[in-house]
Amino acid sequence: MRPNDRKYAQSHEWVKLDGDVAIIGITDFAVQELSNGNESDLVYCDLPDAGRMLAAGETFGEIESVKAVSDLYAPIAGEVLETNAAIEDHLEILSKDPWGAGWIIKIKPESKKLDGLMDAAEYEKFVASKKH
Amino acid sequence: METWRLVTTWNAQPAFNLGLDEALLESAGAPVTVRFYSWKPGALSLGYFQRLEDVPAALDARAVVRRFTGGGAIHHQRELTFSIAAETEHPLYRGPIAESYARVHAAVARALATLGVTAELRGERSLASEREGTGMCFHKSSPLDLVWNERKGVGSAQRRSKGRVLHHGSIKLGTTPLEGDIATLEHVARGLEPESFAPRLREAFEAHFGVKLVADVPDALERGRAKELAVRFASDEFLRRR
Repeated sequence: MRPNDRKYAQSHEWVKLDGDVAIIGITDFAVQELSNGNESDLVYCDLPDAGRMLAAGETFGEIESVKAVSDLYAPIAGEVLETNAAIEDHLEILSKDPWGAGWIIKIKPESKKLDGLMDAAEYEKFVASKKH
Repeated sequence: METWRLVTTWNAQPAFNLGLDEALLESAGAPVTVRFYSWKPGALSLGYFQRLEDVPAALDARAVVRRFTGGGAIHHQRELTFSIAAETEHPLYRGPIAESYARVHAAVARALATLGVTAELRGERSLASEREGTGMCFHKSSPLDLVWNERKGVGSAQRRSKGRVLHHGSIKLGTTPLEGDIATLEHVARGLEPESFAPRLREAFEAHFGVKLVADVPDALERGRAKELAVRFASDEFLRRR
C-alpha cells in the first residue's frame, strides 16, 4: 500500500501538505515506468526556478530516462519555493525513496484543499487498471 | 481493421521535420500517425538534454538541430527516419515503456528481414559499435536496441507529454563519416534510398500490428503548428539551451 498521508494525480505525481508547504514528487509507479526497474536509467531532470507560479496541471519540469523524456505536472496550484537539488545529480534517489528523499519540489499552495486528487486506495485501483 | 495515418515527407528541412513531429505529438484525438521521412541537408540532431560541446561531430555537420526527444546525437543522412504519434493509452504504448520499444522494434525487424537482415534486441551482449565520448546515439546502446552484425543499426527515443507519445526512430541504410562503423543495410542493398525502403517498412507495420496505413497529409491545424514550432527548432537559442 502506498502512503496514505498524501494525495495522488492521474499523471502519477503525489502531493503532501506539511504546514503551509506542499511537497510534490512522483510515485513509485512513475519511476518504474521510466526506469524499467534500473535506477541508472534515469539520466536528467529539469526543475523550475523558485518563485515560479504554477497552475494546477501545468508542466513544471521534465525528466529523461534512457528511453523517454516525460513532463512533470503540478497536481495543485502554487508558487515554487524550493527544488530538491540533491536529485538533479543523483536521480537514483527517486528509485530508492520516491516518497521521502526523492521529493522534487516544494510549493506554497494557493489552497490547502486537495480537490480532484486520489487518496492511496483510489490511486491503487487506478494503477491496477493501467497494468491491463 | 484499425486505420492509421501515414505521412511521408522526403528531403525536408531539419527544423520542419522536428516541428511536424512535435505538432503530431500535440495533436490530441488524432488517429495513430506514422511518419516516414528524410532530411535535406543531412543534419545532426542532438538529444534534448545534450550539450552541444559534448558532441564533437556537431562541428563537422552541415546542419545541427536539437530534438525534443532524449538520447544521443544522430546524423540523419543515409537513413530512413520514422516517427509514431499516439495516445499513451493506445495498445501500442500502454504499459511499461520498455515493452512499447519491443513492440515497435519487432515490426522494424520484420521489415529488415525482407532484405535478409536478422536484427535482434541487443540484450546483454557487447557491441563493436560502442564508442566513448562521442555523444552519438549509435555509439551507445541499451538492451532494447536493435542490432545486427554486432553493431547498433536502429536508434530510437520517445517523448511523452499530456497523455500522448512521440516515438522517433532512425534506421541506418548506410553509414556516414560522423557515425562510422555501425550496422547498416549497405551490405545487402548498396545505395538503398529511404523512399525505396519505405514500402517494406509500411508492409511490416501493417502485418505486425494488424492495421491499415492510409497515406494522408497533416491537417491545417497540424501544419500551422508545425510551422510555428519549426521556428523554435531553427533558432540558435534552442540549439544552445543546455
